[in-house]
Amino acid sequence: MSKHSAINRFGRSGNPAFTKNFNGFIDDLPISDRMTLDGAVNKTGILLATCFGGAFIGWNIPQLMLPAMIIGFILAMITIFRSPSNAGSTAPLYALSQGIFLGAITMFFEQSYPGIGIQAIGLTFGILASLLLCYKTGLIKPTENFRLMIFSATFGILILYLVNFVMSFFFGSSIGFIHSNGLFGIGFSLFVVGIAALNLVLDFDFIEEGAEKGMPKYMEWYGAFSLMVTLVWLYLEILRLLAKIRR
Amino acid sequence: MNTIIFGSIALISLYAFFKLSKLKASSRQLKRNDRINRFDHQPKENIIEGDSEEIKDSDDEK
Repeated sequence: MSKHSAINRFGRSGNPAFTKNFNGFIDDLPISDRMTLDGAVNKTGILLATCFGGAFIGWNIPQLMLPAMIIGFILAMITIFRSPSNAGSTAPLYALSQGIFLGAITMFFEQSYPGIGIQAIGLTFGILASLLLCYKTGLIKPTENFRLMIFSATFGILILYLVNFVMSFFFGSSIGFIHSNGLFGIGFSLFVVGIAALNLVLDFDFIEEGAEKGMPKYMEWYGAFSLMVTLVWLYLEILRLLAKIRR
Repeated sequence: MNTIIFGSIALISLYAFFKLSKLKASSRQLKRNDRINRFDHQPKENIIEGDSEEIKDSDDEK
């Protein structure tokens, strides 16, 4: 019962001019044009396969590492800020370029630490599956506070990496503990891996909610893309962590 | 040995991921009041909230 007597007496306005919102737009979509869980999962599979294909190229032609990383970054920015509705065309290109980058960087790590690549792949997918199980069963419940916490931590890590990049590029020094293999360095890497992993939960929830509310079909690609971005980050952080431990 | 262990972890996890993802999350997850509300915009009310005075019939007659 509303505390406003006018609402109780007359009800909320049925005038479409007042009630028209995003949901009204979604309601107009035919069923076939709506996002589904199956669709998002299939698209994630396509992106993963594309990424593995790219990794094969990167492993054999490691000179492509830097261009692939830059192209991947630009494609990610375009997809996120310019045209989420075109994720169907930008996301596979992103997966391919990041695959090339990951393949090349894994090859370099493998030269110093043999067997590190398969360990990182196993751990990344292991975390992916176990967190999905935790999410589906309701063991981990993403709330607004949870999202705020993860966003803040992710943004903090981004700023730290940016400062480290600027310091090393312009002044030739860097934030020591990020790269150190001491207790603090490994602890920092574990923290970053944890935050990257918890970002997966937000991605699962995004896909689940989008499918539940019948968002437009292109959101399947966007959901799969966001999952890929997190997986790429998680893989890189696990690779760094394992390298620190084995150093 | 390293390849066999971590390779099988990766394959089993990928299989579990593709099987699990197609299932709907449990009601414990979906029927919560504190879920993140990304897409659901609340309709704007056409009643302006705030202090208001009741208009009496006697005011119209003035």
